[in-house]
Amino acid sequence: MVVSRRDFLLGGMAAGAAGLCPGLSLAQSASYFAGTRTDNGVTFRATNFARIDKRWHRQVVKFKSTEPEGTVVVDTRNHFLYLIMENKTAIRYGVSVGKEGFKWFGRASIDRKALWPKWTPPPEMRQRHPELPLSVEGGSPKNPLGARALYLHGTGGDTGYRFHGTVAPWSIGTDASSGCIRMFNEDVIDLYQRCPIGTAAYVIQHLADQAEKSLAKPEEPDAI
Amino acid sequence: MILVHGHFRRLVVAGLLVTLAACTTTKIEAPEPAVNPNEFGNTNDPAAGFENVQPGTEQDFILNVGRRTFFAENSAALDATARVTLDQQIAFLKKYPQWYAKVQGFADEPGGDAKMRQISQQRADAVMNYLVAGGVPASRLWAKGYGKDRVVRDCADRACKVQNRRVITNLRASREDGD
Repeated sequence: MVVSRRDFLLGGMAAGAAGLCPGLSLAQSASYFAGTRTDNGVTFRATNFARIDKRWHRQVVKFKSTEPEGTVVVDTRNHFLYLIMENKTAIRYGVSVGKEGFKWFGRASIDRKALWPKWTPPPEMRQRHPELPLSVEGGSPKNPLGARALYLHGTGGDTGYRFHGTVAPWSIGTDASSGCIRMFNEDVIDLYQRCPIGTAAYVIQHLADQAEKSLAKPEEPDAI
Repeated sequence: MILVHGHFRRLVVAGLLVTLAACTTTKIEAPEPAVNPNEFGNTNDPAAGFENVQPGTEQDFILNVGRRTFFAENSAALDATARVTLDQQIAFLKKYPQWYAKVQGFADEPGGDAKMRQISQQRADAVMNYLVAGGVPASRLWAKGYGKDRVVRDCADRACKVQNRRVITNLRASREDGD
């Protein structure tokens, strides 16, 4: 598939939006935004949630598990991120899972959080797309990390895994060509507010189908 | 079948506990009653009250504003993140003046119960003062520190302690004191 540089940038670089939605015209992608919002000195295009399937909206759901309150659980296959709350409930966010998002599963903690982080395209991405710059400043409309990044560290240090925002809201609820766990900017801002440094995170392939099965045993992780 | 099996296992465990109790003076708690899965519903169902969240409700506050602010160890200072949440709380409380709020402080730090009670009160006071400075009438708020009571997660890990070092802004329909 041939993607012009212009489409590529407008569609949101790492989002690979053009590849995901080959028929998505500029006008169609524009319909996913409504107005602007300012956050920490950055004015960004607000998500038009009227255009988004309700299942991907942030909502409070029942959540049966043995995980304690305060843990972030990511169900990668079903594209949901849960923040566990009291009384067997959780705040559920719709996410998009990029290729990097399927490379690691397990337990970690949120050890670093950033506002409008700078994006450095990974070397392999720059090989595929040599026109990409070495880095994109935080707050740029071309920065696929969007409004926030929450970095997961495990016992061996940085897992390379992160929750971040997006410039391609239409991709939420799908598997994407690249990136980690991508959220609506409004949602990753919300999650940032609710997760102090040290918050436990648990990334699994999917929740057990039967309520009897706890989250204690994830399926075999994919090889890295 | 699974339920029967589970029940049987419970009986066996209860039996073992009775046997143990016969040998020691340890008080044995009765096993928890089995949870009826139909009462809970399913994961991913809307939580009770959250089926159709309306502006200005407690559910709106929980989902779109956030009740919790978090604190660093041994600190009652409001960091930039806490202030963002509190600014949202201020906007909500000014827009919906029917609400009162109980500001509850909690702690989980080294130093013993008296120290924790003190710091939890300082945290609650810091949040209340910020809300008042932002324009919420003090007559609609009251602050209380609970020390290490009501921990969110009870363990020695950082993941537990960071959750417990918090203030919860709890909406109330009327002015009340005590708990």
